[in-house]
Amino acid sequence: MILARLALRNLLRQRRRTALTLMVVVAGFLALSLAGGFMAQTFQGLSDAAIRGGLGHLQVLPPGAAEGDEAQSLEKSLPDGEALAARLRTDPAVAEVLPRIQFMGLLSSGAKSVAFLGTAVDPVLEPKHMATTEALTGGARAAGGAGSRWLSPDPSLREVILGTGLARALGASVGSSLTLMSTTKDGALNAVDVDVVGLQDLGLRELNDRFLTVSLATASQLLDAGPARSRLSVVLRRPGDTAAEQARIQALLAETSVKPWFELASFYRQVKLLYFAIFGFMGLVLFLVVLLATANTLLMSVMERVREFGVLRAMGLQPGQLLRLLQWEGAFLGLLGSALGLAVTLLLRAGLNALHLQMPAPPGTSHGYELNIHFVPLVYAIVAAGLQATIQVSALFPGLKAARLRIVEALRHV
Amino acid sequence: MLQLCNLTRAYELGGERAGVFGVSLAVPKGCLAVLAGPSGSGKTTLLQLAGLLDTPDEGEVRLGGELVSSLPEKARCDLRLRRLGFVFQAFNLVPVLTALENVMLPLQLQGVTEAEARPRAEAALDRVGLADRRHHRPGQLSGGQQQRAAIARALAPDPLLVLADEPTASLDHAHGGPLLDLMAELAAERGATFLVASHDPAVIARAHRVFRLMDGMLVGEERP
Repeated sequence: MILARLALRNLLRQRRRTALTLMVVVAGFLALSLAGGFMAQTFQGLSDAAIRGGLGHLQVLPPGAAEGDEAQSLEKSLPDGEALAARLRTDPAVAEVLPRIQFMGLLSSGAKSVAFLGTAVDPVLEPKHMATTEALTGGARAAGGAGSRWLSPDPSLREVILGTGLARALGASVGSSLTLMSTTKDGALNAVDVDVVGLQDLGLRELNDRFLTVSLATASQLLDAGPARSRLSVVLRRPGDTAAEQARIQALLAETSVKPWFELASFYRQVKLLYFAIFGFMGLVLFLVVLLATANTLLMSVMERVREFGVLRAMGLQPGQLLRLLQWEGAFLGLLGSALGLAVTLLLRAGLNALHLQMPAPPGTSHGYELNIHFVPLVYAIVAAGLQATIQVSALFPGLKAARLRIVEALRHV
Repeated sequence: MLQLCNLTRAYELGGERAGVFGVSLAVPKGCLAVLAGPSGSGKTTLLQLAGLLDTPDEGEVRLGGELVSSLPEKARCDLRLRRLGFVFQAFNLVPVLTALENVMLPLQLQGVTEAEARPRAEAALDRVGLADRRHHRPGQLSGGQQQRAAIARALAPDPLLVLADEPTASLDHAHGGPLLDLMAELAAERGATFLVASHDPAVIARAHRVFRLMDGMLVGEERP
């Protein structure tokens, strides 16, 4: 403990220099922790968007349906999807199963026809588990979107909700009557007249230009689907168990392909990789700055104490103990820097979140979002551990320099 | 207690050969011995060899009959920590520690607990007349007080041999005299052996044995 006490006193000896070094450590902690909190917000937002945008936690698909255009037809489907959904609903880990039909075709308004990508959903279950209402709120603000509402639970009604871009292309609005055309499961051409009951803004322009939603009853009539479904979106009771449940349910449903949401949400994965690359590089630069700053401080401190080290060595201090002394100094710098960094991070985080800053819309999306830097203790722990390790490494060189001093020369040092 | 046998340590200083050459001497237990001679005569070099701070080119250092000059560095460190004490011309107290903490330092480095080291350090400070200054840092002490604290630090672990390099050189006569009296008293009282490098006549006058050096060689031995 005497070495620890000596180390602490030595840091207090040059208060200004120690304070400057601490500021570098605090700045490093602050930048990395805020970036980590921002990343957590982004990942959370993207994962929520993917899960509540229709994927659920797990997707049960016909084998090979995740690849190619077959995903947009019933050519490859779960032949008795409804029965499979009923079976899965009895599983204790499953909160709900949302069957879906994905299809494509032409949407006509008089002489105008536009190709569409359609999804048929259960009008009762869908709003309970998916972010349908939020998309509708966005659509209601678009031209012709006033009075937007969700699909009626009545299976006899033929209703459609259009993406805002698709509605604009057809000059349609809430209340318009349109014709949906597609091919049935057996390849015959079929058409159904539908009423537009709402517009939706899905956040991506490309989706808004092509996407529409109908009830399973409407799609069944159009496609002559019977009990066949394109896929089932499974909502789990414990989202954290997604990976484990995927393996378990896959084993139960060997004839299907069960995929977790994060394998299917390619946008989420790409953004995650991009963020890791950007913030990883930023972290590397910051760690390097901390390394150089602390190494410089400790080296200057060693150069100023050459004679003192000579005296300590003369008194019997082993070279390894001098190395440990410098490691203690690094340890205190790191601990104090991280503690101060955490305090400043929490304060700044609270301040920034209180400002309700609006972030611009990310590329390819149609609306921005509010900045809400997350509180992520794991990130703080990783940053603190990383900084501590960096500082301990930076203390090695000055420590070795001190340990290698020749005593008689150190005692002569002026 | 201390035997230096045919000790040689040569080095270049300003283009000239300096150091000590073939010095042999013996210092008995409880003796206040002085290495006397002008600047550059090899006093400090010999003291550093005797204190295991440097390694001789030739010759041997024996402490209590044991050959110690050829020991590996770790064992020499341990020996310095447990058997030797040092007093330097510039006092060289650790500036961030109080007088008491400075005296406790070698004890704690030996592994003595703080609870045990504190009374021993307080007694050592009391013996050198610094009981009321124990919580002062070196910067708050006069030169004489700092050197007395350094003596207390050297003596607190009860060493066999205390090596002092020009201990009065940074002090005026008023402070140097009492310090020497104190060292002589402690040598008699504790049976500690002192080897002091000095050209101060006041130091030489109080010595039990004087070894005179010139150009790195022993040229005389006196027993006043």
